[in-house]
Amino acid sequence: MNIIDRAHDKGGAARPPTDPVQVLQVRDLRVGYADKTILNGLDLSIHCGEIFGLLGPNGSGKTTLIRAICGRIRPKSGEIRIAGVPNTRRGAFRNIGLVPQEIALYSHLTVKENLIAFGRLSGLSRRACRRSTEFAIEATHLAAHAETAVHALSGGWKRRANIAAALLHKPSLLILDEPTVGVDVDARNALQDLIRSLGKSGLAVLLTTHDLDQAQMLCRTVGFLRQGVINPCGRPADLLEKEYPGQRLLIVDLYQRASQETRGMLKRLGFVEQRSGFEWSRTIKTSSQDQAGLVRALRQTDLKVKEIRFREPGLDTLFVRLTGQELQP
Amino acid sequence: MTGAILKVMILGLVRDRGAFAMAFILPPFIFIIFAAIFSGASGDEMRLKVALHDSVMTVETQTLSSALRDEPSLRVQQSSVADEASVRALVLSGDADVGLLIRGDLRGDAAEPPLLVIIDAGRAMTGPILAGQVQRLIAAELPAVALLRSVPAVEELTGGLNQVQKLRLDEGLAQLELQESGQGDAESLVAIEAVAGQTGSENISYYAGAVAVMFLLFSAMQGAATLIEERSSGIIDRVAVGPSGTDVIVLAKFLFLLVQGILQVSLIFLVAWIGYGVDVPGHLVPWMATTVLAAAAAAGLALALASACTTRQQANTVSGFLVLVASAIGGSMVPRFMMPPWLQEIGWFTPNAWAIEAYQGALWRSERLSEMLSSFWPLALAAAVGLILALALSRYRLRIG
Repeated sequence: MNIIDRAHDKGGAARPPTDPVQVLQVRDLRVGYADKTILNGLDLSIHCGEIFGLLGPNGSGKTTLIRAICGRIRPKSGEIRIAGVPNTRRGAFRNIGLVPQEIALYSHLTVKENLIAFGRLSGLSRRACRRSTEFAIEATHLAAHAETAVHALSGGWKRRANIAAALLHKPSLLILDEPTVGVDVDARNALQDLIRSLGKSGLAVLLTTHDLDQAQMLCRTVGFLRQGVINPCGRPADLLEKEYPGQRLLIVDLYQRASQETRGMLKRLGFVEQRSGFEWSRTIKTSSQDQAGLVRALRQTDLKVKEIRFREPGLDTLFVRLTGQELQP
Repeated sequence: MTGAILKVMILGLVRDRGAFAMAFILPPFIFIIFAAIFSGASGDEMRLKVALHDSVMTVETQTLSSALRDEPSLRVQQSSVADEASVRALVLSGDADVGLLIRGDLRGDAAEPPLLVIIDAGRAMTGPILAGQVQRLIAAELPAVALLRSVPAVEELTGGLNQVQKLRLDEGLAQLELQESGQGDAESLVAIEAVAGQTGSENISYYAGAVAVMFLLFSAMQGAATLIEERSSGIIDRVAVGPSGTDVIVLAKFLFLLVQGILQVSLIFLVAWIGYGVDVPGHLVPWMATTVLAAAAAAGLALALASACTTRQQANTVSGFLVLVASAIGGSMVPRFMMPPWLQEIGWFTPNAWAIEAYQGALWRSERLSEMLSSFWPLALAAAVGLILALALSRYRLRIG
């Protein structure tokens, strides 16, 4: 029994559904402003206990999709159901817990006071609110900081409190918008553990992040939002295996930014520019023959190479291939 | 749900000592300063500092000097200033508000007037005030002089006095000089009657209302601006997916600002009642009705403005501008009767003017509620329109992001 289950059992409140049913179902969603189409027939399903990573460059429509799910944008067509309820009905939103990217808490109040306030605002009775507050504090390991004012917390604990405030009404779908932005590595790891445990407890999680390593580690499924639709979509390992069968990533680190001439040469060799020209990468067959040939070709140039290394292709590699750009935070 | 937001706002105010002081300590303090300034400026306590030089030193001029020194509305230096240049220097340096040179016989018929008032152009109103006081004192203390100085005008109108009339005039003047001073005709010609407010605290009640409505607007604008912070921090996003939507936040803020406003105004009038004898308990119902409506109008307008603004900085700039302008032309800084007519007309477009009018009706003219409706409805309308606008704009902002 995980922490969420224990907390729910203590609180006695309704559990989130744990059977593998669709919690979020988006079908043929079309959203646009004036003559600009942002979402163009988008389909998406998220099930109980699934952590779904929504990836895409800035301006691809991630925020628009979240706003549409939360009922803040009226789509031109399509349907959104949350726990089986169309989001055109007010009741559907009871199943959503929204964690905005900003710390959406009252900084002058303590964590506990915030949770009580947001519990009441989510429609809980005074008694249920007390129970839910205890549940959320335990689920997010905030007990030691419950009486601390939010402004006095470190970034990581603020992020935890931000998530806790979305759990009070026991939603089926948790929407996390960049939940680890601006925190240190330890706090990020702790938050990832928390999100993982929330998924294991049966919550469906829709996660937007610019941290592709995080998405790869945390998400059961990821989807790339491009040209108004999610494509491709699937388990990270499956997507990478499909896109890069038997391939590795060759990375060349340079001491200085490549000149215009060497840029052209690297591009002709199939390299893709990263980190503003200091790093170049390309996928390569794992056969030693291909690798040796490419390394030989690089040595014949006048590049000031700092390091040549190999690694497995990741979601970041796929992201660059699909979008033609690096993911900027 | 409204209670939750109210609690959040109350805790926010209590824990932010600066905001608490701005809301509840500064307004009574500023009111006390205003009361001290403007109770004096109303006339009965305005005591001009006068530099006096008598270069003639006749019996009449000494009588006038003495009368001026005894006059409670003036502060005349006990010893005469050495010379005319010194009087001018004292006025120029600001050590005296106004100067008076007695440079000729009061009975004389020299071409230039025997009395010369020296003013600083920056304090032009001191001239007519002192000139009026001098003429009143001459009429009261030196009636013979007053009469004598009007004889040439009478002669001009009547074609000259004959010998018998001149003899009778001399006898009359001699009799006037024998009479006690203070028996002149000044009082018999003009008398003053106050048509409203017999307690002497009317000016204080005016400024209590004027300061109260100005601070109501300032505090409401500050309180309403938290709406922008909640929008930018994502709190509104979070609450919007809840069962109550964003309306509950706007309505709760309206209630909070209303209660905060009532408390704020109550503190100001408490000081006015205890410190200056303004009869608030005697007019409690109309005063309370005015206070509730003024606070509601301030809350509604502030929330509408906060909902319309994109950033806190923008709200601060716009609200500061609007509140200062409304307070200036609405009578919170200077009574509107002192303004040019066109400015007085514009003043009716501010909540300040209607709130001050309502407070005057309640505390000054002792009006009944039914008589105050004409002042109430603009305040109620401002509150309703402001609140509806705030609700609509908040919903609109949620849609456009």
